[in-house]
Amino acid sequence: MDTATFTSLHSDTTASSRHPLAGQTMSGAEMIIEVLAQEGVDTLFGYSGGAILPTYDAVFRYNQRHRSAAAQGDLDEPMRLIVPANEQGAGFMAAGYARASGKVGCFLVTSGPGATNTVTPIRDCMADSVPVVAITGQVPTHAMGTDAFQEAPIVNIMGSCAKHVFLVTDPEKVEATIRTAFEVARSGRPGPVVVDVPKNVQNWVGEFRGEGYLDIRGYRQRLETLRSAKLSDRKCRSFFEMLQRARRPLLYVGGGAVVGDAQRELRDFAHTYRIPVVSTLMGLGAMDTTDELYLGMLGMHGTAYANYAVEDCDFLIAVGARFDDRVAGKVEEFAPLAEQIAHIDIDAAEIGKVKGVDWAHVGEASRSLQQLLRYGESMGFEPCFDAWVEHVHGLRTRHPMGYDRTSELIQPHYVIEQLNALTGGSAIIATGVGQHQMWAAQYCDFREPRQWLTSGGLGTMGFGLPAAIGAYLACPDKTVVNIDGDGSLRMNLGELETATTYGLPVKVLLLNNLGDGMVRQWQKLYFGDRFSASDKSLRRKDFIKAAEADGYEFARRVTAKEEVAAALQAFVEFPGPAFLEVMIDPDAGVFPMVGPGSSYKEMVTGEFIPARQAAPRSGRSGGAEQDAAEAETQPQSPDLF
Amino acid sequence: MRHIISMLVENESGALSRIAGMFTARGYNIECLTVAPTDDPSISRLTLVTIGDDQIIEQIIKQLNKLLDVVKVVDMTEGRHIEREMMLVKVAAGALEQRDEFKRLTDIFRGRILDVTEKIYTIELTGTSDKLDAFVDALGGSNILEVVRSGVIGISRGERHLKV
Repeated sequence: MDTATFTSLHSDTTASSRHPLAGQTMSGAEMIIEVLAQEGVDTLFGYSGGAILPTYDAVFRYNQRHRSAAAQGDLDEPMRLIVPANEQGAGFMAAGYARASGKVGCFLVTSGPGATNTVTPIRDCMADSVPVVAITGQVPTHAMGTDAFQEAPIVNIMGSCAKHVFLVTDPEKVEATIRTAFEVARSGRPGPVVVDVPKNVQNWVGEFRGEGYLDIRGYRQRLETLRSAKLSDRKCRSFFEMLQRARRPLLYVGGGAVVGDAQRELRDFAHTYRIPVVSTLMGLGAMDTTDELYLGMLGMHGTAYANYAVEDCDFLIAVGARFDDRVAGKVEEFAPLAEQIAHIDIDAAEIGKVKGVDWAHVGEASRSLQQLLRYGESMGFEPCFDAWVEHVHGLRTRHPMGYDRTSELIQPHYVIEQLNALTGGSAIIATGVGQHQMWAAQYCDFREPRQWLTSGGLGTMGFGLPAAIGAYLACPDKTVVNIDGDGSLRMNLGELETATTYGLPVKVLLLNNLGDGMVRQWQKLYFGDRFSASDKSLRRKDFIKAAEADGYEFARRVTAKEEVAAALQAFVEFPGPAFLEVMIDPDAGVFPMVGPGSSYKEMVTGEFIPARQAAPRSGRSGGAEQDAAEAETQPQSPDLF
Repeated sequence: MRHIISMLVENESGALSRIAGMFTARGYNIECLTVAPTDDPSISRLTLVTIGDDQIIEQIIKQLNKLLDVVKVVDMTEGRHIEREMMLVKVAAGALEQRDEFKRLTDIFRGRILDVTEKIYTIELTGTSDKLDAFVDALGGSNILEVVRSGVIGISRGERHLKV
């Protein structure tokens, strides 16, 4: 790559002005912190230890130099340090920070166990394309490979999990490496980058340049191609030819639309052509979930009407989605009537990975949709999908979400509905993994993207609490609620104290069903009710006492349905960290459910969501007119047109 | 189908392990692999042979293109190309009749006998993997004492070339 292109790629960060400290002599550790500051890091998550001590010392001194006179506590520091109970917590806090803000999250841990404790968050960020930079201390270069104290082969371990791992062996490159790590984390399909820095590199003293990147030519070339990728007129035309032929188009939106900040273009696109939208777990919020064209989540625990719409559509337009097994189920039978599938993704490897498509474009979701819109406008494209929109609205009316509203026991859906009524779809919601996660995805509204923080790809229990803490630090003006389960919360319970230590008004809503509910649900379905290792009714944990011991001034347990609404209100309005445990019906299930590897035809809607009978495969014959009224009176009759 | 995939990679520690690791993690196979620096010492050329249907090969190339260390990737098998592999093979050649036969075979396959003792021939042979396989078959398993193969390298025919 020639220098001209190289400079233009970094024009925003290397601006013409020289770094004020350029040319000064400082330690490698100080350089690391100066580059972090340059990259806009205002919050560092992490836990110190032997091999990272010099860099922690550099943070301390950086804050000492830059502290404003008005600073009152830890949170006012120019580069605040948030210390978790466990390094895994630091990783998820950085991830929560990144997911909520769109900025790169950063965490700093020591070698060996410090670093290996962050393998899970690194992999989690990889699975969900979250930009984080992890700086791990390493034993000095001369001790590497000797099985030294707290030594682990981080390059090998993280190499299998991260977008990239750098090991800095040449101290002259430490500055450029950290800068490049941020570039790699945030560019293209974002992801986690690890920089392993031996202690002697941190202690090395040299000249700070204040600029410069590593020469990663292949990556930069591909990135440049991606950035300049333009939809050709021919390709736009073929897209609109497909849309023209279609009668039942459906937008299938994934996390790429959130990560790529494509919400405006997506909403524009959907509204301009009146195309209904379904979303993956990761895509929640890209489309305003209260929008009339929005049909909810699709897939294993998607809404019945979203899944029926997928079954019925004849043109599926995937945007930043990857046909994950939790979405596609039985791949061959996914969207069986779709005569055409279009796929827009920033990662070429996602095109055709799971399902063959008829039209694909590798590029940024926002720009691609914008180009399509512009082309459609210029050709005066005027579609009419009113009958189809009416059809999917009918599906929504006839097969709404539902649960046992008459039960004496507290239904988790009810709790989330009440919470949603209080927050109006404007809160940031983090979750653990399991039933509560699915109920939250089904019953919470998200008016905007980046309000929904969940471990989608990796499915990491224990994600919610630290992610909520990170999100609050990124967005202190938002209400941040961690909806958690008793199993997931236990995983990173130590972080309860982190919220109170820093006085972060994070709300922890624990839906306690005395066990691992999702595991139990599968054991009921597939393992003859043998609840191996999932029943926790005999566990002694008193979560309220635990919260109180960790300094929660608001720590309440609710066991009666009629107390839920008032307790939730007090909980959300409480000015500081708050903990609310709701004892829910341990038998409540997550429905609808498309079993693993099954097709949507086999979707089980449960007792409280009306299902439609298997629809005949009549293709595009028939009309929308016949269905609505008939379906009400004759549940047997097909409502597919 | 068998594909020869050639790539230019940054001559960095860890690059090879990341490439091999991607194959292991995603369940792709590597039949053989060879890597060495090029005329540009900062760049290594890595050639590997893998087997898979079109969809798998497409995924392999796309996944390779996501690795930071990988500068360029091509599937040699897509176009006209030259493929070479080198083999050194040590055979028991004590009896006169064996010595004559192995000498003749070596000539037929355009190989060279590099080293001779009273009991042993050490033969060098270069060619496509198929040719090397055929030579090994012709020598007969019971005579072979040791086989070393370099792994396949390849280059496009004509004007096409792989360069940064």
